Amino acid sequence: MRPFRSIALLVAAVPALAFAQGAAPAQPPGSPGPETTAPASTSPGEPPERSRTQRDAPAVPQAAPETPAAPPASRSGTASDEDAAASDTTAPAPAPAGPTSGIAPADAPVLESPESGEAPRTTDAQQQRLVNGAPLYNPNVNVHIVQKKRFADEGKHELVLYPGVVQVNGKFTNHVGTALHYVYHLQENFALQLGGQYNWYSDESDFNLELIDKVREQAQAASSLLLQWGAHAGVEVTPLYGKFAFFNNSLAQFSLVLSGGAGVGKTRHLIRPKVANEVDGQTYQVPARFGDTGNKFLGEVGGGFRVQFGESYAIRLEVRDLIYTARVDKVDGCNLGDFEALEAARAANQPFDGLSLSGSCKVAKFDGVDPETKKNYREDIILGRDLVAEPSSDVLNNVSFYAGFSMLF
Amino acid sequence: MNARTLRVFAALCISLTALGAAAQEDGVLESAVVRNRLYKPAGHPELSLSVGLPVQTYLTAHYFFDVGLAYNLFDTFAVEARAGFAASRHTGLARSISESFLDREDKRVTDELEDLWRMNLHGVIGARWAPIYGKISLVADIPVHFQTYLWVGGGLGNLKRESVIQCTQVVDRAAGVCDNRTAVDDRGSATENYWVKETRVAPVVSAALGFRFFIKEQHGIRLELRDWIFKDSYRVNLLRDDWEAGNPTGEPAGSPGLTHLVQFDLGYTYSF
Repeated sequence: MRPFRSIALLVAAVPALAFAQGAAPAQPPGSPGPETTAPASTSPGEPPERSRTQRDAPAVPQAAPETPAAPPASRSGTASDEDAAASDTTAPAPAPAGPTSGIAPADAPVLESPESGEAPRTTDAQQQRLVNGAPLYNPNVNVHIVQKKRFADEGKHELVLYPGVVQVNGKFTNHVGTALHYVYHLQENFALQLGGQYNWYSDESDFNLELIDKVREQAQAASSLLLQWGAHAGVEVTPLYGKFAFFNNSLAQFSLVLSGGAGVGKTRHLIRPKVANEVDGQTYQVPARFGDTGNKFLGEVGGGFRVQFGESYAIRLEVRDLIYTARVDKVDGCNLGDFEALEAARAANQPFDGLSLSGSCKVAKFDGVDPETKKNYREDIILGRDLVAEPSSDVLNNVSFYAGFSMLF
Repeated sequence: MNARTLRVFAALCISLTALGAAAQEDGVLESAVVRNRLYKPAGHPELSLSVGLPVQTYLTAHYFFDVGLAYNLFDTFAVEARAGFAASRHTGLARSISESFLDREDKRVTDELEDLWRMNLHGVIGARWAPIYGKISLVADIPVHFQTYLWVGGGLGNLKRESVIQCTQVVDRAAGVCDNRTAVDDRGSATENYWVKETRVAPVVSAALGFRFFIKEQHGIRLELRDWIFKDSYRVNLLRDDWEAGNPTGEPAGSPGLTHLVQFDLGYTYSF
């Protein structure tokens, strides 16, 4: 049951990923957009290498596009073979001396040395026309171009909101929260980031409660420490980028993002789960009580995908690990000695005023009666003492799935 | 959170209504936006081998070894049969619980723990839907083609369960020994243990989200997050006196829920 929510969220994110790129229209013809390649085709008469790589010849438009492309010489620097299949790429065939059909477009390459080169394999001037540096209409040419990224990140600011941050490795704890990150892209592949996260749900897991209920066992206090909020600063790199199509209909550009950073987080521990308190024949529901266990150093590493749609928007799907060292020797500022003194006073039904406690001990949290639930806070002293009776330490990995969207400006 | 998620998804769905319209109007671009779809698996059968490691362990840990045979009906859709064996074990936490609980006399009535069934032999048939085809630019001149897919299927699994609570023959209560080990500290010398065991064959549902990276024409690497799901089953209201006397005790849980075995699968695919 436990991993279900996490895997369900992961699976549910896939259609959203696919849907999101629907907002990114395919590249218009005049812009340096997505890959502009001629359909793969082999020389006339040459058998296909393998049936699965066969492609249909393109349909030549009736009218030439209005926007002429730049001369081929200016594009040569951006064209390169992309795929293995393109290794047999033939250079754009030179145009014939006189067009045989229609008028040659201004950007059609001319035959530089007709007598020295091989004969052009097509005589249709329209097929010689270059679009984004590639002879798109030439069925004899197989050219693949790794074009520039559609959207440059350098110098941009990015604000990322992760409405849903769900812990995916919660053996003894469960966390669900919301995060907000600011990213400044210093360079195309390198950025600085500041982030904050608030876990509006953090509690011990059902598994831990099951162990307590059935076998009287539970995780050590340090292993079930809860992260209330965290803030960190760090860097983000995007070593890879790519693109994908959903059912051949639309294009999405994505980047692999890796991040790392450090910061601080506030932790707490469950002292008492939700209970029913019966006083004078009336039952009160007492909410769970948590004890403050202090601020901890926080490390952060993560990775994921950023799918950009449009120039200013992106969706981010990431997994981040918040790492924090946990040592529980105080709860609400009270150490074992404080709890021993409090418990002795409680057993003797004495006030806590004259006790010699450490300065950090928030004694008021363990004294008095809640006016709404009639719960006597002194009853929690023994529970607090149990948490620190055997000081425990652990290094916790809070791995969460982050689903969010960002705005670039 | 659900309501918020639904709103986001709805907005994204609406955005689909203008798919690539601008580029298609001119006719310069093909309808296929990732042109040069280098690998078209349609019509090809394929054989795959995979190893699965647990993403998260509680009381059990599984290591899957599977063989799959698939046929690609279309570039984006395939049917696949997978079968294999899962090596499994109790985790250290489960062993720790079993040893300490033997001596916990204050708990004489309890319930069995959830999610203790372990799968071994299994077989499923499913459908693989790969609507996403893309490329990653590893370095400038090495694009890697991939598909992203969802896999859903069902089948049968052979399950076994070994209790960590019910010991029918306590050997050393203080030391938590419930087997025939020759020395108290030498767990490895035991050839038999006396924990209550059960076996069954149960329907299994499997679902996965994965990436298939193409390597040349016929080879591929698959990375999957796969969940194996089956109905849990355990007993409640167990009496210590009864189980330690070797007698059946308790009754089946009314709503045992589902057990999920979430695995990270690494696989190799050969396409014929």
